[in-house]
Amino acid sequence: MLRLNRRRFLGSSAAGLVASALPMRSFAAGSSPLRMQASWINDGEFMGYFVAIDKGYYKAEGLDLTYLPGGPDVIPESTIIAGHADLTLTTPDTTIKAIAEQGAPFKIIGTEYQKNPLGVISLASKPIRTPADLVGKTLAVPPVNVISVDAMLKLNHVDPSKVKIVPYAYDPTPLIKGEVDATLDFVTDVPYTIEQQGVKVVSFLLYDYGFTIYNDTVVVTEDVLKSKRKELVAWLRASRKGWNDNFADPKAWPPKFKDTWFKGSGRTVGNEVFLNEAQKPLIETPKGIFSMTEEGIDANLKALADVGIKGTRKMFDTTLLEEI
Amino acid sequence: MAAEGLSLAGIGKTFRGRGRTVEALREVSLTCPAGSFTALIGPSGCGKSTVMRIALGLEAPDTGTARIAGMAPAEAARSGLTGVAFQDAALLPWRSVMRNVEAPLEVLGRKRDAHTARVRALIDLVGLTGYENSLPGELSGGMRQRVAIARALVTEPQVLFMDEPFGALDQILRRQMNVELQRVWAETGSTALLVTHGIDEAVFLADRVLVMQANPGRIVEAIEVPFARPRAPSLWSDPAFHALCDRIAEALTGGAVDA
Amino acid sequence: MAALPGERASAGRIPPGLRNLVILLLLWEVVGHFGLVAQGALPSPTAILERLWIDRADYPRHIEATLIGSSLGFLFGNLIGVGAGIVFALSPRMLRLFRGVNVAIFSLPAIAIAPILTLTLTGMEPRVVLATLGVYFVTMTATVVGISQADSRATDMVRAYGGGRVKVLTMVQLRGALPSILSGFRIAAPNAVLGAILAEFGGGGDRWGLGVYLLGSLGQGMPTRLWGIGLVATAIAGLSYLAFALIARRFVGATRAVTLNAAVPGGDATDEPLASRLLFAAGSLALPFCFWWLFIWGTGAPWLIAKTPLGVADYLFFSPASASAQARLLHALGQTLPVTGIGMLVGLAFAFLLAISSRLFPEAVRAFMPVALVTQTMPLVALTPLLVLILGRGTSLTLWVTISVTFFPAFVTLAQGLALVPRSAVELPRAYGAGVWREMRMVTIPASLPYLFAATRLTVPRALLGVMIAEWLATGTGLGNLLNQSRGYLDYGMIWTVAAVAVLVSAACYQIVVLAERRVLRRLGMRTAE
Repeated sequence: MLRLNRRRFLGSSAAGLVASALPMRSFAAGSSPLRMQASWINDGEFMGYFVAIDKGYYKAEGLDLTYLPGGPDVIPESTIIAGHADLTLTTPDTTIKAIAEQGAPFKIIGTEYQKNPLGVISLASKPIRTPADLVGKTLAVPPVNVISVDAMLKLNHVDPSKVKIVPYAYDPTPLIKGEVDATLDFVTDVPYTIEQQGVKVVSFLLYDYGFTIYNDTVVVTEDVLKSKRKELVAWLRASRKGWNDNFADPKAWPPKFKDTWFKGSGRTVGNEVFLNEAQKPLIETPKGIFSMTEEGIDANLKALADVGIKGTRKMFDTTLLEEI
Repeated sequence: MAAEGLSLAGIGKTFRGRGRTVEALREVSLTCPAGSFTALIGPSGCGKSTVMRIALGLEAPDTGTARIAGMAPAEAARSGLTGVAFQDAALLPWRSVMRNVEAPLEVLGRKRDAHTARVRALIDLVGLTGYENSLPGELSGGMRQRVAIARALVTEPQVLFMDEPFGALDQILRRQMNVELQRVWAETGSTALLVTHGIDEAVFLADRVLVMQANPGRIVEAIEVPFARPRAPSLWSDPAFHALCDRIAEALTGGAVDA
Repeated sequence: MAALPGERASAGRIPPGLRNLVILLLLWEVVGHFGLVAQGALPSPTAILERLWIDRADYPRHIEATLIGSSLGFLFGNLIGVGAGIVFALSPRMLRLFRGVNVAIFSLPAIAIAPILTLTLTGMEPRVVLATLGVYFVTMTATVVGISQADSRATDMVRAYGGGRVKVLTMVQLRGALPSILSGFRIAAPNAVLGAILAEFGGGGDRWGLGVYLLGSLGQGMPTRLWGIGLVATAIAGLSYLAFALIARRFVGATRAVTLNAAVPGGDATDEPLASRLLFAAGSLALPFCFWWLFIWGTGAPWLIAKTPLGVADYLFFSPASASAQARLLHALGQTLPVTGIGMLVGLAFAFLLAISSRLFPEAVRAFMPVALVTQTMPLVALTPLLVLILGRGTSLTLWVTISVTFFPAFVTLAQGLALVPRSAVELPRAYGAGVWREMRMVTIPASLPYLFAATRLTVPRALLGVMIAEWLATGTGLGNLLNQSRGYLDYGMIWTVAAVAVLVSAACYQIVVLAERRVLRRLGMRTAE
């Protein structure tokens, strides 16, 4: 449930977890080893890295990359503290909270998603299109996101006590059956699952209503930042190329990974295509994928301050991006 | 054959439990010369089984000493000098008759294979041929007790302890077993101590009957049994036999009146 | 004692269990097919089977992973459990010294320590450890009980021939303990499977396993698949239970003592000087904390993640966040504890009634067993959407979950106790013409008192586990929710605190039951059924 944070929990699907038991390694001789910890199981959320690995972009940068799939059980920050990985994808709220409150030696050096895909999803037959529509409704929220929802409601002048919040057990069935009116989930993924059952949904992003944070931020420890700076820049460069290739035609890549990266996950190719198209506007940015602008960082810090997480600009390091 | 037999001197034993203390034995002394057959008789709860447990080394006396062939009981047991048949058959329920009879050999670390013939002979002696592979649960109470007798004899003990070994048998079988036991005992030449509450059994088998009384447990009388050996079943109808039985019964009840 | 109550149904007829199962399945099919329950959230058996068939390619690797994890746990747990059980049975001092550790391990609510294992271990380790923990206590206890309850007359026989501890152990006690150990294995086997699945679900460390599969499937809104996974898990757990039940049954007939052993049990070491007793008590209290420290030291987990006992104390009392932490913790405890107590009592009462009924109406209970077993092994998370739809998200749901997780082990313990009442004792009142009820009142129920206490001890941690699961999945209150949130916030201090508090609360309740038990049983001159 840690993972809930990024709600990935849910949407993710099915048999999902499957992907690969062993870390995938892009073999390369005589190059620098680098280990990356993904934040979830192998699904469309990580298309760019799969493309970059398959096309040999990391190898071309002199990197011997080991890709570690994430999962509900993987706490990304923990893997880099423990030294199991050099860099990890995670969410800014957990990272900044860990730095601010526990003195964890983390630095955020880039972000995959410019806009967090977390949103409020409801049935089109009983649509909830804005925070104000939530009054008097029951909203299922992963426990860890409750404060985010509270903050978002307050920012939009909705009294949180007027919204009934229950734990999200990661299953959209209560929503489909009408036991809850809405769920907090990844809008890039779950709508597909629900609509496959013949039910239309509507959604809005928390991001669009003031909870302006990134997602799948790239985080390293200060030690790694010092000792592997060159490799990290190379990783950012290769990954950006992979993502650019992917978004050149979002429909093209998922079918190619059906029997490799996505093998054994109970997810359908259709699901990945949906996800890949849905996430395109949330990831792409004119400054280049992974970019973090000063305005973007400010927006993150402000949104987190609203939920009581006190971050500073120092927790972000944009200098690597400049070297790409 | 045996060197010294069994001797207990000044045995005292007190049990504590649930806030009360019970003096089970006070100043119990007895000597069983090598090759003799002694019967210990007394009412329930007089401590006669405790005497035997102390002699076997299963309980430690509070006062006094026990010696078997000059050794401490535990030592004698480890040397394989003793054999025992308990009041309850105390068989291992998961072992066949054969394997139960062999159990003491195993405890003493002797080779079972070398004794197979003897084990079979003993099973035959107690009338259980054909039941070698039966489990105790499949036998009647009397049959289980006979297995226990066979087991007690398997080590060819110098000192044989029996705690009401035939208590569960019917009168007919019991007398049969008494005759058999006498024969076996005579053959082995062991020193025997029989704890019983059967007067006729005690008189038929023993050279000497020790009468115990309770509260505290003590020996109140030793009665010599003069009949010649081997004793035949006809002894049971001998008036002299009955006279002796009556005397023992008197000693048992007489003591009770005393108290 | 290995056989479930009522398993001695007469041969030749259709076993009522099977018959009732068929009726139940038909009913389920109708209800599921027409969507009569919970707006159709309960899928029909055929729909589940259909889904299983479609998903069949997904299962083998997940099943394999779960089996490997649980088998390793089963193996380690039993090795350690039997070994420790022998040591404890032979040395009451060791038993006293390790009492704290044993109580702590027994009281561990798996859900509370799964996050800790995930934080500090990697790969298969968390699930193996959780499975091991689930197995250890059951097997250890069964071994100690089996050995210490060995027939004292048979023990005397061996000792009378000069046999020492080892001879007594090998010839009498271990073999005599076998039925008890086997019945321990029987309970431990599904525990291992469930432990592994829970670890997989709550944070296991691998990409494969039924728990992982279940987790990944939650978001699919596919009740048929969730039920399919749940039923496969149930089948594995049930088969493992059945396997050991059959093995145990082979030994039971032969090993059950035929007469009543009325030997007075040896008392506690009350003769020991007070100083020595205090020393042992202190050692027993300190040892669990030593193990905690050792565990962190052994795993080499970084300080930020792994909190030592001092770290938790610091977090809870001296850190800047301590006030907020205390408030949240107390609030959560206030929500969790009352429900736990009530759920436990109801679960226990249900188990007791069922166990008594198993003597009176063996066939009815026999028919009920398959259902009961399913409720034990079906991962609760697969049922959550259904339960939420039927019961809502309030206290009634928490109570139902708690009762369902507590009653089965309590029932098994009680039924086993009743089955152990000696034949002669049961037959005595019958011989005087007493009816079944009078016999129950005079013999069976009093004789089962030690087992009622044993069952109570057994249900304490399970009740807390049940409540925390319900809180975590459905109600969003109490310790379960606090733990879940703390994981999300990387609030490592709180994760360790909740785990420690859950264990402490559980251990304290356990201790209270033990004290009550000692008083009552001593007064009745009965012996504790470990």
